[in-house]
Amino acid sequence: MIFELLYIDPGSGSYLVQVIVAAALGVVFFFRNIKNYIKAFFTRSPKKTNDNPED
Amino acid sequence: MSNSFSYHPSSFRDPSGFIFKKDNILYRQVNKVFKEHFDFFISSGFYEKLVKQQLLIPHTRINENLTCSDDWHATLKPEKIDFISFPWEWSFDMLKDAALLTLHLAKEAVASGMALKDATPYNIQWHKGRLIFIDTLSFEKYNPDEPWIAYRQFCENFLAPLLLMHYSKNSLQQLLLAYPEGIPLSIAKSLLPGRSKFSLHTYLHIHLHAKVAGRKNATDSVKTKFSKQKFLNLISSLEIVIGKLRLSEQSIAWSGYYEEASQRNDYLDQKKKIISQWLDKLPDIKTATDLGANDGEFSRLLAAKNIQTLAADADPYCINKLYKDIKISGEKNIQPLIVDLSNPSPAIGLNNKERTSFITRLQADLALALALIHHLTIGKNIPFEMIVDFFQSISTTFIIEFVPKEDEKVQQMLAGKKDIYTNYSEDNFEKAFGKYYKVLNKESITGSSRILYLMKRHER
Repeated sequence: MIFELLYIDPGSGSYLVQVIVAAALGVVFFFRNIKNYIKAFFTRSPKKTNDNPED
Repeated sequence: MSNSFSYHPSSFRDPSGFIFKKDNILYRQVNKVFKEHFDFFISSGFYEKLVKQQLLIPHTRINENLTCSDDWHATLKPEKIDFISFPWEWSFDMLKDAALLTLHLAKEAVASGMALKDATPYNIQWHKGRLIFIDTLSFEKYNPDEPWIAYRQFCENFLAPLLLMHYSKNSLQQLLLAYPEGIPLSIAKSLLPGRSKFSLHTYLHIHLHAKVAGRKNATDSVKTKFSKQKFLNLISSLEIVIGKLRLSEQSIAWSGYYEEASQRNDYLDQKKKIISQWLDKLPDIKTATDLGANDGEFSRLLAAKNIQTLAADADPYCINKLYKDIKISGEKNIQPLIVDLSNPSPAIGLNNKERTSFITRLQADLALALALIHHLTIGKNIPFEMIVDFFQSISTTFIIEFVPKEDEKVQQMLAGKKDIYTNYSEDNFEKAFGKYYKVLNKESITGSSRILYLMKRHER
């Protein structure tokens, strides 16, 4: 049913490349998320100290 | 009402339905084969959501089989788009925003259990001061076994031209005219500089994509599940790469023109005042085109008077600036377009009818040609007679500025070339335009030797 409606040619190898690209991106985003988490952790802590007015 | 209707010349690729014209009204037919997907699109509330967010063109459903066809499932009457434009007339940032809109829709679709099945710039148009998606039949039910069917189409139609413009530091709209169905990945890859491979996302979507797709034994018999997360990662990656692309603001021939011009004895203010007075006496003007609009100073004047204005200029940098300004200001009445008047967009595609020419599409109650004629005659060697032949097909009413030979700008143009323009005079200009137009008003711009004309075409 779905294939009847494939009026655009997804391109030879385009599905295959998406599987490869998605696998690579899975790794990239996994590490990026860890990086963002660590970054957020360190940028958050100075704010907390700011919350306590010294005067 | 007759039974006759005509298919839209560019609506033949997708079997889900088609656009047709009947009694001069544009409709979209949904075919039986697409019933399941279309009904889900409506019943899931996704259509409503997109229309509410002004991302999709709204339609009214007509309960009548207007084409009397056996394939009929539904008839839709979409809201009318005033002027259809094509990607080779769009500036860099407009194409970039169209790409981001496409990706946004692809993401929203997945969240609503649907998938965007095609990704071409032709599905996006300028409507009421913003970009909007116009193909209601582009959404089908999401199939978790399949990757994004429009992935290659997106890379070839949006990503490749944007990357080429970004890396070459040039506005390359003409490439889209040469490759109206997208720049083939193998070509994009070979045109991009080697250093583009060091950008991870560019490497994946263009270089690797072209390499894998180019393999002789590349097959698509991959039976791996393509999870929603993978799908979203793919879209995010495309968003990241496109978000970073910029059109280098390099040497701009015309930008800054007004800043420079305004220093000349209130020249601009005078010009605006005269045109504004004339416009007030022309209440019937609803649409206009500003030929040689530069960064849209005068298009804004028209737009402020609630006139729908096409701002056309050959300089892609000026038009890009105008586009970005409009995006910020939210002005609704200006549509910026890149058009070279000595070579306006041709009719291309199947039977030369699929994408019509600029002139065929252009119809305006009023046309503005300010400080333009000397560029066509002296810059491009086009005689007055040929200019007026062209102009009379555009509009019945014209506001034209004539810049005489002794003007500083004309002298600058003549400095580097032989003066073969013996016919370039006010008299000959009036004589040539007199063939089609009657001068209603003529006024000199104080502080310059330039003249403004308000002309009306003779009755036919």
